[in-house]
Order: sequence, then C-alpha cells, then structure tokens
Amino acid sequence: MQEVLNINGISKSYGPIKALQNVSFTVPQGSVFGLLGPNGSGKTTLLSIILDILKADTGSFAWFGHPGSPATRKQIGSLLETPNFYHYLSATDNLKITQAISGRGDNASIDEALKIVKLYERKNSKFSTYSLGMKQRLAIGAALMGNPNVLLFDEPTNGLDPVGIAEIRELIRELAKQGKTIIMASHLLDEVEKVCTHVAIMKRGHLLTAGPVDEVLANEDIVELGSPDLIALEKILQQYPGVTQIKATDHPSLQVFFPMGTARMEAINKHCFEQGVVLNQLTLKKKSLETKFFELTND
Amino acid sequence: MNLLALVKIEWLKIKKYPAFWWMFGIVGLTYPGTNLMFYYGYSEGTKGKEVASSVAKMLLGNPFAFPETWHTVAFLSSVFVMIPAILVIMLVTNEYNFKTHRQNIIDGWSRGQFVTSKLFDVLIISLVSTVLYALVAFGFGAWADYNNIGRWAEQLEYIPLFLLQTFAQLSIAFLLGFLIKKAFIALGIFFFYNLILENIAVGYAKFKLNDIGKFLPFEISDRIIPSPAFMSRFGKDMKAAYEKALDDIPMHIALTLLLTAAIWAFCYWKHKRRDL
Repeated sequence: MQEVLNINGISKSYGPIKALQNVSFTVPQGSVFGLLGPNGSGKTTLLSIILDILKADTGSFAWFGHPGSPATRKQIGSLLETPNFYHYLSATDNLKITQAISGRGDNASIDEALKIVKLYERKNSKFSTYSLGMKQRLAIGAALMGNPNVLLFDEPTNGLDPVGIAEIRELIRELAKQGKTIIMASHLLDEVEKVCTHVAIMKRGHLLTAGPVDEVLANEDIVELGSPDLIALEKILQQYPGVTQIKATDHPSLQVFFPMGTARMEAINKHCFEQGVVLNQLTLKKKSLETKFFELTND
Repeated sequence: MNLLALVKIEWLKIKKYPAFWWMFGIVGLTYPGTNLMFYYGYSEGTKGKEVASSVAKMLLGNPFAFPETWHTVAFLSSVFVMIPAILVIMLVTNEYNFKTHRQNIIDGWSRGQFVTSKLFDVLIISLVSTVLYALVAFGFGAWADYNNIGRWAEQLEYIPLFLLQTFAQLSIAFLLGFLIKKAFIALGIFFFYNLILENIAVGYAKFKLNDIGKFLPFEISDRIIPSPAFMSRFGKDMKAAYEKALDDIPMHIALTLLLTAAIWAFCYWKHKRRDL
C-alpha cells in the first residue's frame, strides 16, 4: 500500500520540555488514521510540524513521498486545533480566501462545502456571530473544499453537540468509503474506534504503538469463560498451558489471557469438560481501544 | 503563486475590513484638514495691508502655491503617519489574533509568501496615503494661487519621497506588530516612541551629541522631507540649516532604503525560522 505520510524520527522541545521524542510512523493511503494520546502527549505538536506551523528540532517527514512544501499542503484539507478565520468576514468570504490560497475547488465548491456542514443558510453571516459548533463546522467545511484526497482533522468534534458529533462521524465514514485518507487526532476513544482503520498512541511525546487497529488491540488473546462454578473453573485454568493472567469480571465470568494467537477455543473447552467443569460461555474477545489506551498510557 | 494572486488575496481580507475604510476616511479628512488649518493661518497672517502682513507675505511667499505645495503639504501630512500605522499594526496583529497566520500556511502559502502579502498591505496603504497626499497638494496648488498652475510639474519629486517616507515608517509599525503580536502593546510602543521618545532623543542629540539623532529609525526617513522652504527665510542660520537639510536628502534616502530593506529582510528571515 502506498504511503501518504511518512514521519521519521521527529523530535521537538520547548526549552526543557520534550514535546516529541523520536516519533516515527507511516500513514497508508486510504486509511483512517487515529492519533491518540492524553492531553499534552504531543498530538497537536506533531500535526503542527507536518503542516509547517512548527519546526522540528530533528527528524523529517514526507507527504506523498516528497518533503513537506506549500504544494503538498495544498492537497490536504486540514483543521488544526481551532477554527482559524477572519472574524469580520462571512463564511463565504472566508472560504474564498481558503480557496484562493489552496487552489482547491471553485466558487461552486464553496457552496457545496457549506451545504455539507449545514452552514449554507448562514453563509453570509459574519464568522464572529457563529456559535462554537458552527465555527468548528466551518473549519471542517474549509478542509473539505475542493474534495481533497487527504484530510487532517485535529479534534474534529470539539464544540459539537451529540447530533453534530454523530454527523461528523458519519461524514468521516462516508469520506473513508470514497477512498480518502483521513488523519484524525482525538481523545474521544469511542469515536476513533468506530471509524479508524489505523491508530497511533502517544504519551508525553513518545509514540507507544502504531499500526492497524486490529493489530494494536490484539497483542494478546482474551478468552472470556463462564461457568456455574467459577471457583473450580479458575482452579483448572491456572494449570492450563500458555495462560498469562486470569481476571474475574463483573458478569460474572473470567477473562483468561494468552499470548497473541495461541488461544485454541476447542482445546480450552475440552480441557474444562475433562476436568469436570461445564462452560456456559466461551468467547474470544477483542480488547477495546479504551482498555488498550489506559493500559498503555497509565503509569 | 504569482504576486498578483497574493495582492488579490490580501484585497479579499482588506476590502471588508471596516478599519481599512475608517483609516481611508480619517486620512482623507486629516490631510486636507491639517493643511487647511495652516493655510488659514497663512492667509490670515498675510491678508492685511499693514507692514507686518506685507513682511510676512514677502518672507513666507505662498507655501501652498505650485510648486511649493508639493513640499509643504508633504511635510505637514507626514506628521499623521500614525493613522495608517494603526491600520498596519491591526492588519498584522489580526492575523495572530485570529490565528490566520497559521491557517494561511496550512492552506498552502509558504512562510515567505505570508510576509510578502503583508509587504503588499504596507505598500498598498502607503500608496493610498500618497495618492491622498498628492490630491490634496494638487488641490491646494490650484486653489492657493491659480496663476502658478503652470509650475505644477516642478518639485514632483516630493511625491515619491512621501511614498518612501510613508512606506519606511509604516514598515517600522509593521515590524512592531510582527514581533509583539498584540495590537495594543504594539500601538502603545509605536506612539510612545514615534511621538515622544524619539523626538526628545533627536532634540537632545541635536544640541549635545553632534546631531547623532538623525540616525534614529523615524528620523532617518523624517529628514527626506525637510521643513518647508519658507523656514529658510528667517535669517542666515535658518537658510544654512535648510540648505544642509536639502543636501542631506540623498544620504537619508539611502539610509531609509537600507533600514527598510533590513526590516523586511529580518521579517522574512525570522518568519521562515520561527514557530507560528
């Protein structure tokens, strides 16, 4: 798969604070790439560097195989951190400036973008009169203008109400279906899990993990088992080969952890039955992104 | 992206910015207003038939008639550079305030193009101010002494000199806004330095420090338009001072060009390297 973005060993410091430390990963074409991390983990700093807003101390990045430049940025619809527009201009006039600078789209695409983000009726109102949610939607509209193949959203649902959040999630899914590459920083894990194909998790400037969501989440097999006699079940599983950890859940049931790809459901079932414990539940579970995130980012 | 495209984008930003039209209106009133005040003073002082009036008329000539009007109006109008300076500072600090200095780059400008776009803002505002000055100067020339209208093409060099002086001083205003980023602080420093501090320093240096104040940022370009010619008619010392001021104009043009070029070169250098 071709790479849209290649980040190679980027570091950035603000005085004694190391905002990014040797961060490297790639974003494949057509992926929805979630960049996760708690506040202050360096997500926005990293996105700012790849958009030439901040200068990296060391490291490099390439868009479409070329070093970052105005020409590459013009091909990317971006919303970085906050909606940045001229307060005294209307939505249409602001998008005219975006259009003139980026060269993406034409006058018709301004109306089109405003319709997608449901601001068409207020297109002649000054930006300063917009609510926070409307400002955010205008920024998303500006990114969508001219239908770019790569989109970069930094916390795209900031300031939106629940309906707005659902609409943006749906929009991102729709854009992904069209084959767009979407890079999205967020701390709304549920949101990312629902739409992303790839994920990178950061903490205090370090990249903890990156890759396809399934791979990142499934670095171990989790088997959930239920039985009328959980005490006996736990006892016989402690001797089972390959078990790394057993946890009781609230259901009640047990979660049994194996190294990735080693849990054999039939063998586990057979083992329990032979040891005289009858199962009423046996499922191979995927770890939620939230669980993985806390696991990685908790000290 | 060509330069015309940059100008068009800046025009999109400026044309619906109320402060631009306010500045246009205020300059449009201030230039003729100030000159009218001086002209009124001159007319009142010279219209009588008594000896004093005749002497005043003989001494002053008519500073608002062609070709002196180009010089007199340039000198009097240049005092009001602070009005377009407010606009220049607002235009650059607005970009920081709205964070559009980042968005313009995100959307596809280079950092150099951003500075160039601002250079055009300053140039456009300087040109608008110069056109207003030229219209006012021409108006006074035609009105103050119509008999001299045949000499309208003399001393036209004050038009480019006014443009250079305005551009140079607005470039300093830009530099303050560009570095300080906060409109009120930049405006405060501009006014305090331009109206008070530098004038005190220049005055002090004139008597105590061998006139070294002529190399201060605003004074460098202030001296490309010396006091009006009638100032030379108040005695031998004044005449000598006026003639020296005229002789120094080429040096001050060179210094102004040098300082202005240095300001813009610094802005390009700084903006290409700094975090936005």
